[in-house]
Amino acid sequence: MGVTEEEQRAQITQLQQQQALMVQALAAGLEGRWIGEGSVEAYLYALNPHLQGTLVTNPPVVP
Amino acid sequence: MSAESDLQQLREQQGLLTDSLSRMVQGQWVGFPSLEADLEALSPGIHLNPRPPMLSSEALPPEAPDWLACYEPDTVMHPQVYDWTCSACALDWVLTATARRGTDREQTVYEIGYPENINSAYGLMNGSGVELQRVLADYGIGSGQGWLTFDQVYALAGVVPGMMSGGAWYHWVAIRGRDGESLWIANSAPGYQSVWSSLSRADFNRLGPFSVVWLRR
Repeated sequence: MGVTEEEQRAQITQLQQQQALMVQALAAGLEGRWIGEGSVEAYLYALNPHLQGTLVTNPPVVP
Repeated sequence: MSAESDLQQLREQQGLLTDSLSRMVQGQWVGFPSLEADLEALSPGIHLNPRPPMLSSEALPPEAPDWLACYEPDTVMHPQVYDWTCSACALDWVLTATARRGTDREQTVYEIGYPENINSAYGLMNGSGVELQRVLADYGIGSGQGWLTFDQVYALAGVVPGMMSGGAWYHWVAIRGRDGESLWIANSAPGYQSVWSSLSRADFNRLGPFSVVWLRR
């Protein structure tokens, strides 16, 4: 049995929210914020809370 | 292709994109698993020419600044001759202790800016120490300033020298380091307000609030 139109709409909304977080994460990386508040790491945890405590960070050196 | 399968594909791509970010933050840029592998899964046949960045784990620790390598906390502090020159004495001590130059208090007074920034009527005009910071910068030494608690100053004193002035003390001294649970100071007016070469927490509370200028590594 396929998903309903309402369920599809909810999935699209979730994907849109994830895409927004993805854009913010990429921007944080571009600005050299890899760990800590407002960082790539923080947006990753928002995208997938299960990642918390599992990452061994080794970010690029930011001059 | 149905909308349902489109959504499934988008979810899978989203998963790969999230994994790409986690590979980047973990320093896994090429090989497997890596950002490179995720991109090849997202766009089969994509042509990549990776240039991974230097990672934190590969970077050498930052070199200590020249002044810190030269820092000699035992540098002598002679008593001040004039009652308005304590800030110049403290700054002159820092410049001498960090081997920026030999001691010359008269020169230090003019470097701070006599008589507009320091004079016999008021001593140092701006009690925050901003003019002391400017002189430090002229010698290539970065500094910070703040109205700090005893614990904050104690923490800094274990790492870098500095200068400080108490509002109720109306007196500048240099910070050599720590002396047990007190601050080890270079004091050009030993005995003034019952303070000699160390400043305790009780002294700090009695003579503050303190504006502190510390040298940045």
